[in-house]
Amino acid sequence: MSEILNTLMQDARIWQGHRHNKTTQPAEPTGYPVLDNQLGGIGWPRGALSECLLDAPGIGELSLLTPLMQRLSMAGKTVFWLNPPHTPYAPALARENINLDQVVMIHTQNKGDLLWTLENCLRSPVTGLVMAWPGKLATREIRRLQLAAEAGSNVCVLFRERRYAEQNSPAALRLELEPGDQQSLKVSVVKRRGSWPGQRCSLAMARRAGLLHSEATRVVQGPWPTSAR
Amino acid sequence: MLWLYLHFPHLLLDHIRRTSENVSALVIVEGSGQKVIQACPTAQSMGVKVGMRLKTAISLAPELGIVRADQQQEARILEDQARWLYRYAAHIVLVPPNGLLAEVGSLQRLYGGLPAVWQIVEEVLHERQLTAWPGIGHTPLAARLIARNGKGECTLDKNHILRIIGQMPLLTAEFDERTCTRLQRLGLNTLDEVFRLSPADMARRLSPETLAYLQKIQGSRPDPQAPWQPAHYFRQQADFVQDIERSQGLLFPLQRILSELEKDLCWRQQDTDSLLLMLQHRHAEPTRLRIRTSGPEHRAEAFLNLISLRFEQQPLQAPVVSLRLTVKRFLGREAPGGQDLLGESQDLKEAWHTLMSRLQARLGENALKQLAPKADHRPEQAWSASEVRRTSRVAATTTNQLPQRPLWLLRGPQPLTEIPQAWFTGPERISGGWWDDRRVHRDYYIAQLSNGQLAWVFRDVREGWFVHGWFG
Repeated sequence: MSEILNTLMQDARIWQGHRHNKTTQPAEPTGYPVLDNQLGGIGWPRGALSECLLDAPGIGELSLLTPLMQRLSMAGKTVFWLNPPHTPYAPALARENINLDQVVMIHTQNKGDLLWTLENCLRSPVTGLVMAWPGKLATREIRRLQLAAEAGSNVCVLFRERRYAEQNSPAALRLELEPGDQQSLKVSVVKRRGSWPGQRCSLAMARRAGLLHSEATRVVQGPWPTSAR
Repeated sequence: MLWLYLHFPHLLLDHIRRTSENVSALVIVEGSGQKVIQACPTAQSMGVKVGMRLKTAISLAPELGIVRADQQQEARILEDQARWLYRYAAHIVLVPPNGLLAEVGSLQRLYGGLPAVWQIVEEVLHERQLTAWPGIGHTPLAARLIARNGKGECTLDKNHILRIIGQMPLLTAEFDERTCTRLQRLGLNTLDEVFRLSPADMARRLSPETLAYLQKIQGSRPDPQAPWQPAHYFRQQADFVQDIERSQGLLFPLQRILSELEKDLCWRQQDTDSLLLMLQHRHAEPTRLRIRTSGPEHRAEAFLNLISLRFEQQPLQAPVVSLRLTVKRFLGREAPGGQDLLGESQDLKEAWHTLMSRLQARLGENALKQLAPKADHRPEQAWSASEVRRTSRVAATTTNQLPQRPLWLLRGPQPLTEIPQAWFTGPERISGGWWDDRRVHRDYYIAQLSNGQLAWVFRDVREGWFVHGWFG
């Protein structure tokens, strides 16, 4: 086989349906072994876009990234939050052992600025992780970001609404996030490089609120007097 | 003592010509705007001569660029020249309107002889596209006379210098008119003949001032010169013949100024983190732009990138007549070590500053924030956002003592619109703020909503229920 084709196979840009390739593309472990397994044993791809598709915040979507944030920020890499819908709460981040000196929050006025900022962050060697809440994006714009991501070797995660799951996207990894039982997070792989999508797993995320499965609820007193409302 | 005098015959012309890209014919007219006092070679080739009336000049060269001479501006430009000369010589004296005097006798050993000094000065003049007539003399006035008459020679020999001066006719020796006629009536035509008179004779026939002047030329009377001290800031101005309407046109002169700034900073062994750019308009208030970098910087290229980004964001309000770049804040330069204590290489640090400066230049300084926890019980007060800064402080160690908090905090509490599905921990009573009028008295619970969101909800004193955060 030609050399070019070999390289493409190695990077899992081309893959054959009957074979399950171990890819050699660079990646960062997610910190959740269950999820890593589902992603071919590697984790978040570096130098490529990832998308998380979810309906509403508060289902454990940030906890999915805290192990990575913690590792990168401690290694001296900068973590960018671009246009987050709410305020990333510093005491909680500090509690997760994230080095806040490496966390930079950016708010942009319009989409042109957002794309420009994302591109600049992605191309810089100081960046470890870029998390962005871009809103509506055209496929052409995602393609542009994908190219910028390839220029650097950072993890870039876009948080988007779940309705975009149907939309075609050039991102290398697409995950659909849903809340599961007992505060867990159900992750289903919509797309990934090098293999068939469709893997599902459930991650225990109760820890994010200090809750444990076994423990009964610790509300001291039923605080909801139904008659009062 | 040996003095070098630099006479700039058309300094203003040189100054303006080197800030514009396309050189067209250019003249400088005197304050009243009647007479041409300096003309560039292009204008001269079209027949424009110094001393010509402006109307005649315009009819010879219709496309003529005209600049009115301005004393203040000339003084400023002269000082700019002193600033670069100061890198080569310590004792400099400004001789307005168009001369610089430098003591070079003490520099011979440093540069390896007078010819070397001479050569360096000529090279720098050439590099800066300046026309200057140099002259060397054993006294300041001798150097000045030689330079202004264009008779400059690289010589150490005092007798040779005196011989050159001696050959000068009285008219060029800058006596006032009355003294000049009086000397001519005595039958004296060159300086040499005047020098030959005995001092007693001279004092009787001429005024004491003239005697002092002659003695100062010869060197028999001391002529102390107060040295000029460079100001501790960087300021350069570019003046344009034609107004510049688009910001793109400002980048060319800026590039030259910035590379000069880079040289200046290298020479000072310092960096800076803020530039002040002032754009003068003809009929409007000047535009002031402050360009900040997020860390110490000295590279002209980096500054230029930031400025052009800024121009993209902020179009010009009005055509620009002149621009001025000022730097007043200087920072010590860090020793370029391979790695600092944190194991962070210099390149990475520089890349970080470059990225932050770029982002700030385009998005505005308030768009970028760094977060930090604050010691307060009230959730709204327990964090702070500050400007980005590269800090080397070690992360706080008391992280496990922090209470359980959600990763998302809403910008303000939102009313709870549904009955939560499940209740977890609570209540956690947070009460405080009586000291600063931001009173908080709440019971916090962790609860799960019907769509699976894990929320941080509270009940306030008035029994209202609110969502304050999401456990993301």
